Amino acid sequence: MLSFIIRRLGQSVLVLLVTGLIAFSMFRFVGDPIDNMLGQERTIEDVERLRAQLGLDQPFPVQYYKFLEGAVQGNFGVSYRQGRPVSEILLERAPATLELAAVSGVLAIVFGIALGVFTAIRRNGATAHMIMAASLIGVSLPTFLIGILLIYLFSVELGWLPSFGRGETVDIGGWSTGFLTESGLKALILPSITLGLYQMTLIMRLVRSEMLEVLRQDYIRFARARGLKDRVVNFRHALKNTMVPVVTVIGLQLGAIIAFAIITETVFQWPGVGLLFINAIQFVDVPVMAAYLMLISVMFVGINLMVDILYVFIDPRLRVDRAGGH
Amino acid sequence: MAETQMPSVEAPARGKGRWARFQDSDFFYAFKRSPVAVVSFAVTMLLVLSAVFAPLIAPTNPFDPASLNLMNGFTPPMEPNAFTSESFLMGTDDQGRDVFSTILYGMRISLFVGVAAVLFAMVLGIVLGLISGYFGGWTETIIMRIADVQLTFPSILVAMLIFGIAKGFTPVEYRDQMAIWVLILAIGLSDWVQFARVVRGATLVEKRKDYVAAAQLIGRSPWAIMIKHILPNALSPVLVIATISLALAIIAEATLSFLGVGAPPTQPSLGTLIRIGQGFLFSGEWWILFFPACTLLALALSVNLLGDWLRDALNPRLK
Amino acid sequence: MKRIASLCVVSAVLASPALAEEFQWAGQTDPQTMDPHAVSSAPVLGFLNNVYDGLVRMSKDMEIEPSLAESWEPIGEGEGWRFTLRQGVTFHDGAAFDADDVLFSYERASDESSDVRSWFSPVTEVKVVDDFTIEFYTNAPNPLFPASIANWMMMDRGWAEANNATRPDKESGNFATLNVNGTGAFMLEDRQPGLSTTVVPNPNYWDAVEHNITKATFTPIQNPATAVAALLSGDVDFVEPVPIQDAARLEQDPNVNIIRGIETRTIMLGFAHEADTLKYGTSAGDANPFQDVRVREAVAKAINVDAILQTIWRGSAEAASQLVTPALSSYSEVHAERPAFDPEGAKALLAEAGYVDGFGFGLKCPNDRYPNDEAVCQAITAMLAQVGIQVEIDAMPVSNYWPELRADNFDMYLLGWSPGGSLDHEHPLRFLASTPNEEKKLGSWNFGGYSNARLDEALPSILAEIDPAKRQALIDEVVGIYQSEHAYVPLYTQPLVWGMRSNIDLTQRPDNFFILRWVTVN
Repeated sequence: MLSFIIRRLGQSVLVLLVTGLIAFSMFRFVGDPIDNMLGQERTIEDVERLRAQLGLDQPFPVQYYKFLEGAVQGNFGVSYRQGRPVSEILLERAPATLELAAVSGVLAIVFGIALGVFTAIRRNGATAHMIMAASLIGVSLPTFLIGILLIYLFSVELGWLPSFGRGETVDIGGWSTGFLTESGLKALILPSITLGLYQMTLIMRLVRSEMLEVLRQDYIRFARARGLKDRVVNFRHALKNTMVPVVTVIGLQLGAIIAFAIITETVFQWPGVGLLFINAIQFVDVPVMAAYLMLISVMFVGINLMVDILYVFIDPRLRVDRAGGH
Repeated sequence: MAETQMPSVEAPARGKGRWARFQDSDFFYAFKRSPVAVVSFAVTMLLVLSAVFAPLIAPTNPFDPASLNLMNGFTPPMEPNAFTSESFLMGTDDQGRDVFSTILYGMRISLFVGVAAVLFAMVLGIVLGLISGYFGGWTETIIMRIADVQLTFPSILVAMLIFGIAKGFTPVEYRDQMAIWVLILAIGLSDWVQFARVVRGATLVEKRKDYVAAAQLIGRSPWAIMIKHILPNALSPVLVIATISLALAIIAEATLSFLGVGAPPTQPSLGTLIRIGQGFLFSGEWWILFFPACTLLALALSVNLLGDWLRDALNPRLK
Repeated sequence: MKRIASLCVVSAVLASPALAEEFQWAGQTDPQTMDPHAVSSAPVLGFLNNVYDGLVRMSKDMEIEPSLAESWEPIGEGEGWRFTLRQGVTFHDGAAFDADDVLFSYERASDESSDVRSWFSPVTEVKVVDDFTIEFYTNAPNPLFPASIANWMMMDRGWAEANNATRPDKESGNFATLNVNGTGAFMLEDRQPGLSTTVVPNPNYWDAVEHNITKATFTPIQNPATAVAALLSGDVDFVEPVPIQDAARLEQDPNVNIIRGIETRTIMLGFAHEADTLKYGTSAGDANPFQDVRVREAVAKAINVDAILQTIWRGSAEAASQLVTPALSSYSEVHAERPAFDPEGAKALLAEAGYVDGFGFGLKCPNDRYPNDEAVCQAITAMLAQVGIQVEIDAMPVSNYWPELRADNFDMYLLGWSPGGSLDHEHPLRFLASTPNEEKKLGSWNFGGYSNARLDEALPSILAEIDPAKRQALIDEVVGIYQSEHAYVPLYTQPLVWGMRSNIDLTQRPDNFFILRWVTVN
């Protein structure tokens, strides 16, 4: 057991190193940061001096090593654009993304499960068919277009909701939250719908198919035969048994939510880490890009590791079969 | 599907042509009975065919810069242009390109990217899935570990990373021609895991069966066994995943285009057209966004519905 | 709600002239630093003009006017300039402003670590005469010096020393990166880089107050569609820039006003003058046709600039004949005409140069630097195709674009130039038309390597000539040279489109600086 965890840990570290290397080598092709740091009247000497100061004149392996050395100590360097420590900037921006992701996730889970159960129980009903078809529209348009259309409808035409930003935020011990003000809550609505729509559809379809599967199992038939109420059968027995795969997928989708936040945040000017990343690409802010990607991979590798370990604890047999899952 | 193992089951159908056999099958019967399947299949075919035959259908060739007249720019649908008095079915975009023709040509690119990316992902996934399932051991560990990581790593980020790196390695003079191939590579590489997992699962099950042991005994090569005997058993889930992936790939291309890493603007895909069109949402030139968006919606929706129906139809447990 | 309430107050209390209001505005780029000497970019200098002051400043119509200097005069026969400073001015923290702060700001801004030090390259010595008089000596007569330092902002020596910010630090930042202590009309209240920046009026401002703002917040919004939506829905009071295609529609909205102006930036095409062969396209490897002036002229004639202005720019931009706009005083009136659109003439010229069947080449183009840059390049592709030249377009983000140009990876490229600093014709002459010369810091943006001996010879005289008529004659001559040689193909000057709620009054300055002092909320 312990050796299994240690082996997985070792593999995770290796994965992190490789992701870091890939991410870091990508930056060499994003562009030259110097151009954005100096004005149009710069001279060749200015360029050379700045390049040396940033360590960009050193060979690639040296740069990578220095980056890793800093990263291990939690020091991702200083943003080229803002002239502030990257870790500080990331901490500042993280609450916005995490709150958005949390709300989208909750929306996706609540509506996904509810609609999934509904469409499974009323498998052949007209409403269920309508919901199934409508849910596909949500995944048949790119996220950015859905966001823009929502802004157009609810902010410009109807004027109900703000078109951008987080509204007013309240600072609690360094965590800026939008949950405590009216404008903050209103500002969450459109972005979280945009971000959560895809995951909601996914969860809904998964719950539906799992439910259908479970509902035709013998024990459900026996339960019905025993005269249990439909509600009890549907929720206490059937839904409960669909939860294991659903929870797995939700875990995996956490990553997708954070990643697609990049697009949602760009459309809604949501001041989170995704927007920070897009800006960093534009301005070739290599330290910010590197830190963001490393952070994301640490998170994903962590989630993955946890899922693995949990599986072993829950059911050792799954150790073999797990990868063959869905 | 069970053909390879037990040919006798299919015996009654012998003597008829393949098409006739297909028409008799449960599958075709189920298809005929589902209006959703028929309609979405028809829409998909209509769109695919009009993309394939775009040069024959489209009134103009929007990819030929010499044929464009900038003064035709922003012509509303079915209204003559104020300067040139030319008229266009779906209007023109900012470059004076006929939107209808551009959609047809753009759909070609979107479909090409989508199909090629899915094929690439499928081949890669099948090969890796077969290998890891059949051989096991450390080969399996490595492949499935990569798969695990990639599954948690969001596809859009993977695609952006690959796009960035591939662009860096491409010589500048080929960059434009390469953009499409890089897109295919990026989307394909971010999408192979599902295929690999399904195929590996099927392989693990089939590997233990007697007929495989028998085949091994008579000295058939592992590849022959994998491809001829094991793979057919995984084909139906692979088909379902491929269909849904196709819709996803087309959308992914559009999203990448929004992030500025898509098809070149002189040869726009549907996604690039939507990216261009969204800039005119507030200015009143609704047609530049509306028609490409509707086409993308129709395409993705019909492919998705088809995939949905396929999943139910090919899943014997749901019958 | 608040606005409705305040409107009621206005009608009730008619007498009150300046009703205080909060003001929200949005732009595309966040000023990356609050340090006025660290970064020389329009978003930074534009924003900081609201919180810092210079010795001189630009008025609403781009004339220089006194700011922290009350007056200035040349020393001797062009030896330099003497500035008499305004008395009784204090910084936001209460410290008094005097000549020592000017000297300090000079030391700080001309330091190696400063991004604005090129403004001081002609300066040889700075002398503090007394507390309110300071002299700048220059290496040659320099009539443009006062105008060229309009964006040089004054910082307090005591404050900078106390906070360890005596030199700008672009790499890792310092106190002045996030904090402001200027003499300007507004004081920095809150700064969240990349998110929002809030300023409040300076109660001790030395100049008369025109605005009625109690608080102003700037938010960067990158996606133009989102910015337009924010303006339409009233989430912000002012947006710049407004995408040109949305201007007409916004004008119809009773709640929104649009003002259009012409910016100082000129968009042009540049050629690879020095390259012997073409690098891209179907004729890659062949001899470079753009070395032939007839081919360059053919390109100029083949491009229908009017059509570009008519459609892509919707009539808001102006065709350009030179590297600067007619709005600038050093514009050459005698060379105001640009080559007419003449595809047949272009074909004839190409035939004459030996390219009856045309040729193919590569056009480099940015896709996020100038408004509509990519669309314009595409349009040019179509126009050149119609005279038989096949263009392979390579559009890329600006972060890749400059490195490509610097590595000479182009046959032809799109460039925009705004004569920063002096706002004079000499600026593009120095950077774009002069033969590249690292030592003399000339031609540093002349990527194609255009070179003309007479032009190089005339440039120093233009810089030093004090007599306006003689100076203009020299400029006219040089413009004639680069025009007849088609060194560049000037296309158009960009429009400036700003959008605001209809209850806002403000002034648009051609350098695209948004000055809060001139804003009134009604």
